[in-house]
Amino acid sequence: MTLIEVEGLRKRFRTRRGPVEAVAGIDFQVEAGEFVGYAGPNGAGKSTTVKMMSGILLPSGGRVEVCGMVPYRERKRLARRMGVVFGQRTQLWWDLPLEESFELVGHLYRIPAAERAARLRRLEEVLALGPLLAVPVRSLSLGQRMRAELAAAVLPSPEVLFLDEPTIGLDVEAKAAVRDFLRELNRDEGTTVILTTHDLDDITRLCSRLMIIDHGRLIYDGTVEALRSAYGTTRVLVVDLAEDEPVQLAGAVQARAEGRRRWLEFARDEVSAAELIARLLAGHEVADLTLEEPDIEDIVRRIYRGEAPP
Amino acid sequence: MAEHTRVYLRLAAASVRSTARRPAYLAARTVAAALIVAIEVAGVVLMLDRFGSIGGWRPPEVLLLFGLAFTAQGLALVFGDTLEADKMSELVRRGTFDQVLTRPASPLGWVVASYVDTRFLGRMLAGAATVVWAADRAGVAWTPGRAALAALAVACAAAIIFGVLLAAAGFTFVTVQGSEAVNVLIFGGQYLASYPMQIYGSPLRFMFVWVVPIGLAIYVPALGVLGRQGPPGLPGWLAWLAAPVAGAFVALGGLAWRAGIRHYVGTGS
Repeated sequence: MTLIEVEGLRKRFRTRRGPVEAVAGIDFQVEAGEFVGYAGPNGAGKSTTVKMMSGILLPSGGRVEVCGMVPYRERKRLARRMGVVFGQRTQLWWDLPLEESFELVGHLYRIPAAERAARLRRLEEVLALGPLLAVPVRSLSLGQRMRAELAAAVLPSPEVLFLDEPTIGLDVEAKAAVRDFLRELNRDEGTTVILTTHDLDDITRLCSRLMIIDHGRLIYDGTVEALRSAYGTTRVLVVDLAEDEPVQLAGAVQARAEGRRRWLEFARDEVSAAELIARLLAGHEVADLTLEEPDIEDIVRRIYRGEAPP
Repeated sequence: MAEHTRVYLRLAAASVRSTARRPAYLAARTVAAALIVAIEVAGVVLMLDRFGSIGGWRPPEVLLLFGLAFTAQGLALVFGDTLEADKMSELVRRGTFDQVLTRPASPLGWVVASYVDTRFLGRMLAGAATVVWAADRAGVAWTPGRAALAALAVACAAAIIFGVLLAAAGFTFVTVQGSEAVNVLIFGGQYLASYPMQIYGSPLRFMFVWVVPIGLAIYVPALGVLGRQGPPGLPGWLAWLAAPVAGAFVALGGLAWRAGIRHYVGTGS
């Protein structure tokens, strides 16, 4: 089932320096149950797209439909079926104990009391919120607060969840807690998640699909693996030689040398790692070796810079 | 409908509880707001003392007008305080309003109910006390009709002030992302104004928050309460006209607010 349909979507802003096309005609569809990462440099049009999908902004052109509704036209009805978490702002009641926020959300989204209690018990357990319920939101740490924000956003069992930088500023442990929760939510409840982030780690760990936007256009839409194989054709063999000697190998270029360590770059589609290692071992005594896959961070940076796939 | 109302009442209650988490702060704000009314009343008393009367109105009669106006302002600002330009533009600039738009609620209901300011309850109560005191000094014999007139005056003046605030808030959506210069010209004075001036900062606000509502909704009913003859051409039944006028103000304010939201959704922040 298609949950989000975007077709020729545009948004033009008028600024003092003339009109700016923040979103310049993008098309995509998201099926129910997908976990989509939405990346792009600052000002690429990420949040403008999300705002159009959540009904905060009216498109200047094209079509957007979420859960079968036109967001800006059926804002309130759609609001009942979607959850929104903006990493740097709170959806909770700042001065009140956390449990009151959950209670208000329950009333706001008309969740029957028994259902709310049951769901809350589960969320409290998964997100370890129990000890925090009586604490005013403003006294929570950032990691605690983000867990609470997620609980509040998914309490009404939304079909689609829009997340904007949910792990920003979190420490390693808090990041892991947030990611685990999202992964389980997507897997167990089938919640569709659109994750806007700068943190590519979030994307590689969570998303089945990655969309990259730049200058208001969708420049990549596919899996992380496909991106790696399309752009990341250069792999690196790191070799620790038994003796300090020059290395010459057909199909590989020495990128760096440090003591007895050599970095040998080679193209995935020209020579396999196994073949290269065999050639290496035939002529040299090797103490150790590792194979480095292209870094997704690196690949995306190259895409932002406008480098076409080789 | 009843369910809707309950949600907004819950939001309002949450907003009051938020302030009540700091009881001393809440009490200080409320008492301070009431004290300011007392100071303003004292100012009027002192001024009237010099002149004896204004246009044939004795001091307690003038005070009754002021008392009704204070009560109405307090009532309007308990709910409408966030609609003031500086507070609205803050909501917009901080992105809070974007979040309001993602809630299954009316944005106006949300904004009004979520930012109830109990400080103005102090103003309202002090205003009501002024009315009672001034009426006593002016020798008003309260009848159900006169009490109804006073209540009508307060309700209508409050509605008019609320309507004006609503329209101003609608306008804020346009100015926030417009040139900042416009903002400074129209609203800039507020940032500099100290507290008492906040109530009637610029001449424009003075005009709308004092002159228009008092002229329309307070002066004429007050004549009835005091049992005074108005100037010729101002018949007593005119007082009841205040209700439709107030309704029109709220309706126009509502239209401006909706236009503002449409603009906001169209252009973003």
